[in-house]
Amino acid sequence: MSGDAPAPEHDPAVMMAAALSRLLRDGETVFHGVASPLPMVATLLAKRTHAPDLVYLGIAGGTDPEPRRLPDGSTVDPVLLEGSRSLLTLADLFDLSARGRLDVAFLSGVQIDGAGRINMSAIGDFARPKVRLPGGAGSAALMPTAKRVILWRTKHDPRVFVDRLDFVTAAGNVDRVVTPLCVFVRRDGRLEVESLHPGVTPGELRAATGFAVEVGPGTPRTPPPTAAELAALRAVDPGEVFRSEFR
Amino acid sequence: MRDKRTDLAAAVAAVADGAVVALGGNTLHRGPCAAVHELVRQGKRGLEIVKTAGAYDVDLLCATGCAAAVSAGFVGFETAYGMAPGYRRAVESGAVEAREHACATVIAGLRAAIQGVPFMPVAGLTGSDLPAARGFRAVADPYGGGEVFVVPAIVPDVAFLHVQEADRFGNGRIAGTLFEDVLMAKAAKRVVLTAERIVDGAGFAEEPAAVAIPALLVDAVVEAPGGAWPLGCAGCYEPDAAYLAAYTRAAKDPAALAAFVAERVLGQVGAQAR
Repeated sequence: MSGDAPAPEHDPAVMMAAALSRLLRDGETVFHGVASPLPMVATLLAKRTHAPDLVYLGIAGGTDPEPRRLPDGSTVDPVLLEGSRSLLTLADLFDLSARGRLDVAFLSGVQIDGAGRINMSAIGDFARPKVRLPGGAGSAALMPTAKRVILWRTKHDPRVFVDRLDFVTAAGNVDRVVTPLCVFVRRDGRLEVESLHPGVTPGELRAATGFAVEVGPGTPRTPPPTAAELAALRAVDPGEVFRSEFR
Repeated sequence: MRDKRTDLAAAVAAVADGAVVALGGNTLHRGPCAAVHELVRQGKRGLEIVKTAGAYDVDLLCATGCAAAVSAGFVGFETAYGMAPGYRRAVESGAVEAREHACATVIAGLRAAIQGVPFMPVAGLTGSDLPAARGFRAVADPYGGGEVFVVPAIVPDVAFLHVQEADRFGNGRIAGTLFEDVLMAKAAKRVVLTAERIVDGAGFAEEPAAVAIPALLVDAVVEAPGGAWPLGCAGCYEPDAAYLAAYTRAAKDPAALAAFVAERVLGQVGAQAR
């Protein structure tokens, strides 16, 4: 990293990669879909640090790929098949989740509410939207069926973290939500602040969040990235694809 | 088995206005773009496009007035190029109906068609507004297991699938991920394969399990080198970043898009330069 780069704990892309990676447990079966560079990097990071036996399944169809380089721009890229000894189709992945065998699915939302539900469909009316969004891809099927869903979003402001969604594209087994400011955990159906990233103030988080959050001086801090995590991040993603969602 | 080789113009001419058209591939990869360009050139109208996750292919058919409805889980250009501008404008103006699916419901609908049944149960969808918005019904498990959502069969009138290699009978070999291509081949009434190369295929007999699309399912085979361009085709070429950036820029404005299509799409049909 160059001399004028922020300290890793004040670098939201690094914090998010580390925080997402730590949520994955050794031996879990983990899936991400399209447009998911941070989950891709976080999964590879987890495999290289604390979760070597994690099973990495991507929408590209690979099983435990060991890509020589990471794709910048598409997480469906066939480079994510490199090193895979077997292939799964997207149908296989949905089936796996449907029968209760997928441990973790990474999903995101253009809007996310205080219950951890997501809108990927439309701003305004669904049938005649003000803004037509890309659509939830597999989220309506995966969110209720995967054992744990981890949401990530690189923008944390009141237009993303809203009190009321324009449309509920998907709801279900959300466990954590990782943002540039904090980690939310879902308890009793509501998102609670589990930890604030270093340097983020409680007031900043409240102002950036459209639903009510309990946060104060006693709120735990997300631990800064360790030297081992930073070294592993450089090894798995030397081209810093994990920053691509911040560009 | 008969020789099914034909040219793209003839294969596409058989598509009626209003047809349900399934497109193989996924987002920026292995979409049948030569066929899509020919649909645009022939000025098809009223098409319903079926795909789990589409990008340039779906966007272009919306932007050029060919599509009237899109049945898909996701339409976007992923992280590099963002939202799908042509799709977005067409839906927001009312020109195209967004028949949003969870990708799994597209698969379930195709499976119903494959199995010759009218609908297919699908896990999940609970807590989502999609079933109400799309009319997906929940039914009681007749064996007492509670309720399950069911989606209607999706029977494409035609599926366009781009593969790396095919023989003249339409046996298609796919390098890398299959995506939903095999399901589409089984569900559609008519299947058109475009292939980077048509080969003799004698070698296919040594490893028939490596054939993803059996010729039995295929109606027409077209040799189309570069047939996924500007999307990528595993083992052959990557997505054309400069073209996709130029397209998504132009597609934000109808006049710029019309000029882009005239020059870069229609100007290149029949000579898939890349």
